[in-house]
Amino acid sequence: MDEVNLRDGGELSNELPSSSPSLASGFFPRQLAFRPYVFSQESSNKSKALRVVVRRPLVAKLTKHIVETYQECNPDFKYTDELNLKRFLTSPSDGVFNDGHDNATSDLILSVNYALVNSHTQRRYVVKDILGHGTFGQVAKCWVPDTNSFVAVKIIKNQPAYYQQAWVEVSILTTLNKKLDPEDKHHIVRIHDYFVFQRHLCISFELLDTNLYELIKLNNFKGLSLSIVQLFSKQILRGLGLMKDAGIIHCDLKPENILLCTSMKPAEIKIIDFGSACMEDKTVYSYIQSRYYRSPEVLLGYQYTTAIDMWSFGCIVAELFLGLPLFPGASEFDLLRRMIRILGGQPPDYLLKDAKSTNKFFKFVGSVDHVDAGHDSMGGRSAYQALSEEEYEAREKKKPMIGKEYFNYMNLEGIVVAYPYKKNLPEEDIIKERQVRLALIDFLRGLVEFDPAKRWSPFQALKHPFVTGEPFTSPYIPVSETPHVPVSTVSQNFKVDHHPGGGHWFAAGLSPHVSGRTVSMHASPHIQIQPYAQSSSYGSLGSHNSYNDGNMLGSSYGSYGDNFNTFTYFSPGCQSTMNVHTQGGKAMVGNSPDTRWKIYHRPQGPHGLGVSPSAGNFAPFPLGISPSQFTPPSSFTQNSGSPGHYSAASPARGNCQGSPLGKGIAVSNFNRRKSWGHSGNMQSQEGTSTAHCQGQLSGGLCFSQGEGNTQSQVPGGPLHIPINSNMSSWKPPSGSSNISTDNSFSHMPISGLHGSSLQFSQIKRPVDEKLDVTALPDPGDWDPNYSDELLLQEDSSDVSSITSAFGKVVNIDQATTSPQTFGFGTYSHDSNAVSNATWRPSGPAQAFSKPDMNSPPAHNLPLGYGRSMLRAPQYMSQLSPTSLSRLGQPPTQRTNHGRSSVTYGNEGIHMRPHHNSYSYDPGYPHNSMPWGMHKLDPDISSSSKFVFPHM
Amino acid sequence: MENSTQESHLLPNNTLVTYDSPYPLYAMSFSLSSAGISRRSSDQIIAVGSFIEEYNNRIDILTFDEQTLTQNLSFPHPYPPTKLMFQPSASSPPILASSADFLRLYSFKNDSIELVSKLNNSKSSDFCAPLTSFDWNDVVPQRIGTSSIDTTCTIWDIEKCVVETQLIAHDKEVYDIAWGEAGVFASVSADGSVRIFDLRDKEHSTIVYESPEPDTPLLRLAWNKQDLRYMATTLMDSNKVVILDIRSPTMPVAEFERHQASVNAVAWAPHSGRHICSVGDDSQALIWELPTVASPNGIDPLSMYNAGSEINQLQWSAAQPEWISIAFSNKLQLLRV
Repeated sequence: MDEVNLRDGGELSNELPSSSPSLASGFFPRQLAFRPYVFSQESSNKSKALRVVVRRPLVAKLTKHIVETYQECNPDFKYTDELNLKRFLTSPSDGVFNDGHDNATSDLILSVNYALVNSHTQRRYVVKDILGHGTFGQVAKCWVPDTNSFVAVKIIKNQPAYYQQAWVEVSILTTLNKKLDPEDKHHIVRIHDYFVFQRHLCISFELLDTNLYELIKLNNFKGLSLSIVQLFSKQILRGLGLMKDAGIIHCDLKPENILLCTSMKPAEIKIIDFGSACMEDKTVYSYIQSRYYRSPEVLLGYQYTTAIDMWSFGCIVAELFLGLPLFPGASEFDLLRRMIRILGGQPPDYLLKDAKSTNKFFKFVGSVDHVDAGHDSMGGRSAYQALSEEEYEAREKKKPMIGKEYFNYMNLEGIVVAYPYKKNLPEEDIIKERQVRLALIDFLRGLVEFDPAKRWSPFQALKHPFVTGEPFTSPYIPVSETPHVPVSTVSQNFKVDHHPGGGHWFAAGLSPHVSGRTVSMHASPHIQIQPYAQSSSYGSLGSHNSYNDGNMLGSSYGSYGDNFNTFTYFSPGCQSTMNVHTQGGKAMVGNSPDTRWKIYHRPQGPHGLGVSPSAGNFAPFPLGISPSQFTPPSSFTQNSGSPGHYSAASPARGNCQGSPLGKGIAVSNFNRRKSWGHSGNMQSQEGTSTAHCQGQLSGGLCFSQGEGNTQSQVPGGPLHIPINSNMSSWKPPSGSSNISTDNSFSHMPISGLHGSSLQFSQIKRPVDEKLDVTALPDPGDWDPNYSDELLLQEDSSDVSSITSAFGKVVNIDQATTSPQTFGFGTYSHDSNAVSNATWRPSGPAQAFSKPDMNSPPAHNLPLGYGRSMLRAPQYMSQLSPTSLSRLGQPPTQRTNHGRSSVTYGNEGIHMRPHHNSYSYDPGYPHNSMPWGMHKLDPDISSSSKFVFPHM
Repeated sequence: MENSTQESHLLPNNTLVTYDSPYPLYAMSFSLSSAGISRRSSDQIIAVGSFIEEYNNRIDILTFDEQTLTQNLSFPHPYPPTKLMFQPSASSPPILASSADFLRLYSFKNDSIELVSKLNNSKSSDFCAPLTSFDWNDVVPQRIGTSSIDTTCTIWDIEKCVVETQLIAHDKEVYDIAWGEAGVFASVSADGSVRIFDLRDKEHSTIVYESPEPDTPLLRLAWNKQDLRYMATTLMDSNKVVILDIRSPTMPVAEFERHQASVNAVAWAPHSGRHICSVGDDSQALIWELPTVASPNGIDPLSMYNAGSEINQLQWSAAQPEWISIAFSNKLQLLRV
């Protein structure tokens, strides 16, 4: 060694004996012991050679292997990591309950490296860190030795309420993951495992990255680029579409509950936290959704559907673009006030009429008659006026909390248009973005739509130019909702459209479509009417939900049906809605075509009512909610099945919110919906929609239902068809609406048409075949005005019927064939015009359109079923929102469910019944109730936020 | 010791001095001054610990008079010390600390040495959690922080011989600790992270780096006392020296990869904020300058020295910055830079 050293040293010294250069500024190694660096392969080899002798560096022997080293030094040396202090991740960390395993808040006391064990599989989850905590418990980042991977484990508090609610989450997520999305394509968090450990339910989820709120925060609360907003919107919509099909309402959608996936090249996000989720037919709690993202119907205590998630989604899209919440209400009063100011307008009268908390925020300034008439907007003045701050203070005995104003009191258009552009953007890019912003405004308008019945469904929203990237040239008019077809595909819906009327009908389902069609259902016609609708377009929204149920029923279609119906209903109800409906209707029904056209024709007037006719029938169904309505039944079914599913998910933030409750499970069913196809119809509408709507509304509705229409109706159908043509156009939205409405009418055919909406949906699909629907005609139905309410009111029954009808329809669709029979009515009034005649009967009467809305009633009858729908439809419209409830039509609804099926059954359609149920709500009185579950849950969400521990 | 040879190889220009020990060496420390140990103030005092895989190990105190390295004291120590360190501020008499099974403090008196205290924070007499390293706070001289494989860092008040605080610093064994300022220290661990702690907020720590391969242990940490923005760490079985800028967590400002075997120790220049020396199993000692611009082909060191066998330890004299000491095999070598 010495020699070596000497040699080396000698060389060095010889080479650089002299002083070395040194930097003026300071130190520079001189060439004394050291020499200039030269890469030496030689030394490299040499060192490798030396390394032949396996040597453990001393630094490793005294760190990593120090225990072995010291034991070598002293055989008596002992070390154990069991005495190590624990780094507690849970606070407080004092054991109070559960034999010291739980702290005072019933949380399992976790420390680093604490192992959670699934006693069945023996899989171990080693806790490494806390990701967050909330009222439900904690979310820990765990390492799984078996798979050498990390997961997020939600560890629920050891308390019955949380434990039970968490099972709902497990059940919902399991359904969403395994049954409906086995390939993980719908951007919903994956649940991997669940087990009970130390009396705590533990749910293992895939580990995700940061949430969108944090992302915006990282961006200094500046908005994200429109391309990112579009990408995320599309992904979230895929998840919402799946949920809608499943009849699952998230109930706490917000940026914090949307997480980025880890290491994905193209940014991918997932929806988490189903701890507050519920089945559409089991909306137990009324205090749900985090305030900024709370929908008007929840805020006002109205029945709700999956449409509330679409509202939240709209708020999220706006926030992604703006970097700030669109409605940062400091209180519910402030929230509502911001909505009204930014959006213009207010919740539709049908909703205000039945919402539990309307008196807290509004004063009644119209006559009862007025309300009953279902007039609403569009022209008409609302019977309700929002309270001023002073009035609120006088009533509540306290000043409302008012938050800071971020957008300078501008309306939605102003906020989006005036939002600062990125600096240094080339002129051409600014021009491009300006166009995209216009598309964004149109997109948001369909999402943050006061009327749940008119609000777009996920499927309708997916086709918006903002999402598809197609050039935005004119306001988007969704196809009626139709159901999406089953899950995925909306396409089907579209198909529907094809049918004759296609879109138009939507609503109508009514349109009986051509007779032939079995389905026909849809009265769609009405829908068409809608033309107006502008709003309408959206309209549909609500529908969907409902549909589902319907589907269930019907099975196949079922779903759609429901949805459609829903829409339809809505439409009726509200004008706007109407539109929607209309659209929807179209879609649904297949009617569309007819419907639309008819509608147009009719629109105005008559129709509206379409409902009427049906109404009778429907009644049963609830139209109101159309969707819901239907749903119910279906839902049930499904649900049942589903049950388990829910899951919790959302590891992260958790939120959990609330929810202990478990909401329903049902879910499953919904899915089915898909069938619909109708949707297509709806679409058609769109274009029209607007127009329709109105018209439809009015009359509209009617529809179709179609009943039996359908087939028979066909007649109508045929007619429609023409109309339909339009259909195509439409798409989504409208459809629904229309349908509904119409349905009512007519159709009855069974049920109704009205059900139309639903029917439509169903129909549509079938429809297409049948379409008939026709009915729709009555635009009136659609009419916004006409509103569901009317329907509702009228008969709830009708509605119900309708619903039912729908349901049936739905079935039909699926079945299609068979169904046809149902055919409902479709017809609808208006439709009438069309062929309808049949149906319509009522249709006209209905008149709806707004006016009529109520009318619907008439129809019903016919069909038996249903519910005729009708009105229902209208209601539905409203319903749409939730459908159920609303529509509520009470009678119907419930019935529906049960019945629905039955009914249909009878008729063949079973479905219908369901539909009805749901749908109606709206108008109907009852309705609401039925569902009503809501409650409590308040903000769970809020609570939920986790806290992050260290690091 | 008695057999210790006191060979000193005086090379031309006195640029390299070698001391041969009867046993392998690992721990090593320069004293700030020779007061209390040597009569000549120009002498440098170096403490060196043996690495013998037996209970009985030794600490030798060497005197370097610019020409030769001479052992003038030797005393037994249980287990191989993981680190030796003289009190960083001038004190009289000088105090030397060592870490192994416990933290020990030795005082020099009249050419002899005596154990002043044995600081034990263990709650069990049957078990012992060895200390992997420690660092003496140069602003608050009564404060020493130790790192242990029990995942904690313990802050001692050595005047009162009490634990100031004990922190569960990491999720796995802690292998090294370094003070930045009076109340701020950083540590590295088998969990692969570098964390910074502030005694004013013991509930939180800041992770400034995590090894790319999950759970690749980080063995050594050196905080640049001339420029507290920078610190250097080494990974187990890695030829990289990772330079961190605490202002930009997680992304190293530089990674020096010219060693051809694992890096065993690093030391910042005591008189320059931009220079650092590293030694490794490739027998090389390399001196680097922090790059001002990124180089696509990696960064070359300014200069190099080959010791002929794996270098285990490295210290850079704060009192006389032209001297770097390295330990390899059973030799201690002083290199003039």
